Amino acid sequence: MKKALAILLLIILFGFQSMHTFGIQRFPKPEFESGYTQPQTLMPSPRAEILAYMDVAVLLLALSFISWLVLKKRSRNGVFWTSVFSLAYFGFYREGCVCSIGSIQNVTLAMFDGSYAIPLSVIAFFLIPLVFTLFFGRTFCAGICPFGAMQDLVSFSPQKLGSRLNAILGLIPYLYLGLAMLYAATGTDFIICRYDPFVGIFRMNASFGMYVFAGTLLVSGIFIARPYCRFLCPYGVILNWFSRFSRRHITITPANCIQCRLCENSCPYDAIDIPVTEKNPDSRQMRVRKLIIISILVPFLTVAAGWTGSKLSEPLAGVNSKMKLAKQVLNPVIDPNTPETFEITAFKSAGKSSGQVYEEATLVLHRFYTGSWILGGFIGLVFSLLIAGRMLKKYNPDYVPNKGNCFSCVRCVDYCPVEKS
Amino acid sequence: MKKFLILSDKTLRLIQSIAFASGVFAFVLCILISVNYFQLKRADPLNSPAMKSLVERMNTNPDDQQVKLEIRELDLLSRKAFFTNRWQIKTGGYLLVFNVLILIICLKSIELLKAKLPEIPGSKMDDFWDKRKINQVWVAYAGISLVSVSLVFAFLTHNQLGPELKRAGLAGQNIGSNQQTKLPGNVPSAADTTLKNISGKGANDSAQSASTNLTEGYPTQQEINSNFPSFRGPGGNGIAYQKNIPTSWDGKSGKNIKWKTAVPLPGYNSPVFWSDRIFLTGANETKREVFCFDALSGKILWKTAVEKIPGSPAQVPKVNRETGFSAPTVATDGRRVYAVFANGDLVALDWNGNKVWAKNLGLPKNHYGHSSSLIMYQDMVIVQYDQSGDASVMALKGKTGNLLWKTSRDVKISWSSPILVNTGKRQELMLVAEPFVISYNPSTGKELWRIDCISGEVGPSLAYSDGIVFSVNEYSKLAAIQVGDTPKQLWENNDFMSDIPSPVATKQYLFLPTSYGTMVCYDAKSGTKFWEKDFGSPTYASPILADGKVFIMDKKGTMHIFKPDKTYSVLGQPQLGEGSVCTPAFAEGRIFIRGDKNLYCIGK
Ligand code: SF4
Repeated sequence: MKKALAILLLIILFGFQSMHTFGIQRFPKPEFESGYTQPQTLMPSPRAEILAYMDVAVLLLALSFISWLVLKKRSRNGVFWTSVFSLAYFGFYREGCVCSIGSIQNVTLAMFDGSYAIPLSVIAFFLIPLVFTLFFGRTFCAGICPFGAMQDLVSFSPQKLGSRLNAILGLIPYLYLGLAMLYAATGTDFIICRYDPFVGIFRMNASFGMYVFAGTLLVSGIFIARPYCRFLCPYGVILNWFSRFSRRHITITPANCIQCRLCENSCPYDAIDIPVTEKNPDSRQMRVRKLIIISILVPFLTVAAGWTGSKLSEPLAGVNSKMKLAKQVLNPVIDPNTPETFEITAFKSAGKSSGQVYEEATLVLHRFYTGSWILGGFIGLVFSLLIAGRMLKKYNPDYVPNKGNCFSCVRCVDYCPVEKS
Repeated sequence: MKKFLILSDKTLRLIQSIAFASGVFAFVLCILISVNYFQLKRADPLNSPAMKSLVERMNTNPDDQQVKLEIRELDLLSRKAFFTNRWQIKTGGYLLVFNVLILIICLKSIELLKAKLPEIPGSKMDDFWDKRKINQVWVAYAGISLVSVSLVFAFLTHNQLGPELKRAGLAGQNIGSNQQTKLPGNVPSAADTTLKNISGKGANDSAQSASTNLTEGYPTQQEINSNFPSFRGPGGNGIAYQKNIPTSWDGKSGKNIKWKTAVPLPGYNSPVFWSDRIFLTGANETKREVFCFDALSGKILWKTAVEKIPGSPAQVPKVNRETGFSAPTVATDGRRVYAVFANGDLVALDWNGNKVWAKNLGLPKNHYGHSSSLIMYQDMVIVQYDQSGDASVMALKGKTGNLLWKTSRDVKISWSSPILVNTGKRQELMLVAEPFVISYNPSTGKELWRIDCISGEVGPSLAYSDGIVFSVNEYSKLAAIQVGDTPKQLWENNDFMSDIPSPVATKQYLFLPTSYGTMVCYDAKSGTKFWEKDFGSPTYASPILADGKVFIMDKKGTMHIFKPDKTYSVLGQPQLGEGSVCTPAFAEGRIFIRGDKNLYCIGK
C-alpha cells in the first residue's frame, strides 16, 4: 500500500513537471525576418523550485546509496545499476542539467559578479559531491555522474595507456578547468556547457559537430575507459584533490593484501598503485638537491607561466561578446555586399555610443589580463607541483587504489581472492 | 570474489548475432543520418533555381494566376521535403539511440558470459621509480611545449587591441552616439527618402522633413551607399551604387535635363548628394560660401557665408587658376555638411545651413592652393592636410569639431584626396603623397603600412579594388600595390600618367584617365594594357563607375559613357552644353553635374 502511494505521488510529481514544461513551450519561438537564428540553448527549460530541490534530494539519496554500495557492500552490480538509474534520471530525464561539472562556472561567476544570483540547488550540486568525496572518495564518479555512467557503459575493451600518455593527457583537465573559470569569471561564456559532448545526446538537440564529438568520445571509450572523465573533466580535478584526503576510501582487498597480483591489471583507468617497498634509487643528497631546485623553481615557474598567460589575454578575450562588438565598431566592414552584422545592428539600436563600447571592452580586457595572469600562474603551479610531487618519498606495501584517480567503480574488488576476515 | 559465469555457447552465439546486427544497423543509421544532415544543410528550398525563375515570371507578369499556383505548389512541396528530412533525422536519431542501447546490452551480456577468471600478469611488475621518472620528464616536456606554443601564439597575436581601444576611446570620448532609435518614428531614414523624394514628392516638405532631426550618430553603410556623400562617392573610391542612370541627354535642347541652376560663386569642387539635397561650395579672394540645392527642383535652399571664423588669416591664400579658392569637395554624413577652403577655414553646417562649428586649420603652405577633399568616417570628418614641411592627416568630431586624432606625415605637399576602403579584414584610410602610399586606421590615425612608390606633386587620388590599390602621378609612374601589413608592388607602368583625374578600378580592370584626354584600360592584376581611347578633349574630372558603366566628363562637357570591359565600347556621349571640370554625383536615376557656371540635374 505504502509502495503504491509512493508511486502515485511520484507520478503526480512527474505529471506536474511535464505540465510546467508544456506551459513554457506553448508559444512557438519567433522567427526573425532578418535571418537571425535562435542560438542553441545551453540549459533546458526552467524548473519549478520545488522540483529543483527534488533533484538535490535525489542526488543526496543516490550519493548516500552508492557510497554504501561501494564501501559497505563492495558491490559492482549495485554500482552498475545505480549508474543506469543516474543515466536515466540525471541524464535523459533531467537532460544533464543541473550538473556538478557545469556548476563550477556558476559558482565562479557568483564569486566575481555580485549581480549574479546563483540558485541554491546549483550550489548544492557543486558542494554535495565534494563533501561526499571528502568522506568516501569519488563515489560520485562511480555511478552518479551521468557522463561517467554513459562512458562506463561502453568501456568494453579498455586498454592500458602507458604512463607517458596518462601523464600528458592527464594535464588537459587542469587547462580546461582554468579556462572555464576564466571565461565564467569574466562573464564571457560557460564553455563547459557549450562544449559538453553528452548533453546533446540527452536532449537530442546537439549540433552535428557535437554529435560527432560525443560519438568519437563514446567509440574511443570502448578502448580508453572514460576518456572524458580522465582527460577532460574539470570537476574531476577538484574531486581528485578532495579524494586524496578522503577519510574512508575503497580498498581492493577487504582484509590484508597477499600480493597475489590478480588485481594488477583489473583497473580500466590505470588507477591502481602497485606496491612500493624499494627506496628511491636516488641518493639522499640527490633528492635533497632536487627538492631545493624545485622549491626555487615552483615560484619561478608559476610567475613565468603567469606572464606567458598574460601575453595571451587578448586572444583569450577575443570570444567575449563585448570585445567582438568593439572590434567591429573599431574596424567596421564597409562592403556593400556584406550585410551588417547582427551585433552592429543591435548596437545601433541600443542607443550606446562607440565610446561606451570601447570603455566596456577595455574593462573586459583588463579583467582578462588579470585572469590570464592567474590562469597562467595556476597552470604553472600545477605543472611544477606535479613534478615536485613525483620527487616525494613513497611507500605502500600493498596494491591500493590511487585515492586521487580512483573512480570507486568497485571492479578491482572482484579480483581479490581474500575473504573478509 | 566474483562469480565468473560460463553459459552455453548457443546463448552466447545468439547474443553475438544480435549485437552484430544492431551494430551494423547502427552504423548504417549513422551514415544515413549524416547524409540526411548534409542534404538538409545544403537545401535552401525557398531559394531554389526553380522557385527563383517562377518568382521572376511572376514579377514580369503579376496577374498570372497559373504562376502563382505553381509557386504555391512548389513552396508546399519544398517545405514538405524539408520537414520530412528533418523528421527523418530526428526519428533516425531515436532509432540510433535505441539500437545502441540494444548493442550495449548485448555487449554487456557477452562481457559477462565470456568473463575469464583473473590471471596473474606474466610480465614482471614495472619498476615504480622508473615509471615515476618517465612521468616526471613527460610532464616537464608537456609544460615546456605548452609555454613555447603559448609564447609563439602570443608573439603572433601580440596584444595591440588594448592600446588601440584606449586611443579610440580617448579619441572618441563620446565618439558620438550612433543611436538610430532616438530618431522620432515618423522621420524617414536617409536611405528611404533617397528614393521617395527623388521620385517626385513635394520638394519643400521633403527638404524640411528628411534629416533635420538627424543630429546624432552616423549613417549606416547602406545609407552611405544610397547617397553620394563625398568626392568620388562613398569612400571616395569612384564607385556609385545607384541604378537607372540616364545615358543620353542634351544640355542645348534640354533633353533629360531636369533642372539647371546657376551656381553663385565659382569653384572646382564637385557636387555631393544626400537624401534630397546637393551641396557645393564657391569662393573667390574675399568670399567663401556653401550652397545647398534642392535635388528635386534645383532651388537653392540656403547658402551660408563662411566668415568670421576664429583664427582665419586675413591674408589671401596663394592659389593657381586651375585650383581656385574652393577646390576641395564637401563631405556629409546626413546630419551636417562639412567644407574646407583654400585659406584653411573648416566649417560644419547643419541641415538648414546654420553654423555648428568652425575653425581655421592654419593657412596651408601650398603653392597651388589646397585641394584635398574631405571624407567622413563614422562621425569623424577626416582632413588630409599635406602642406609644405608640416603634412598631417586629422580627424575631427563631426558634431563638435573637437580634434580626435592627428597624425604627422613625412611626405611632400599633395593635392590628392583620401580614400576609405574595406580590405575585407579592416577599414583603412589610404592617402597618397610623394613618396608614399600610406594606410591608416581611421578610428585612431595609427599608421598601418606604407610603401614608397610615387614622386612629384601628386594630384590624382588612389583607386582600390579587390586588395589592390593603384597610385599614379605625372612624371612618376602608375603602380599597383597589393595592400596588407607588408604591401607589395605588383606591377608598374609609365606609358600613361595623370596629374589631375584619378583612376577607377574593378576586380578585373583599371581605368586610368589622363588630363590630356586619353582613357586607358589595364588588366588590374597584371598591368597588361587592353585599350586606350583619346577623347579629343582634356579631362580633369574623375571617372565614376555606376550602374555597370563608367562615366567620365571631359573639359568640354561631353560625358563619355562606356562599358567597363576589355574592349572600348561606347554607350553614350551626351553633351552638357557647357564645360566642366568637376566629377558628377549620382542618385537613383539621376546625375548631378557641376558645369563651369551651372549645376545640372539629369534624369529620364
Ligand atoms: S575501484 Fe578499483 S577498478 Fe575501480 S577505479 Fe578504483 S582502483 Fe580502478
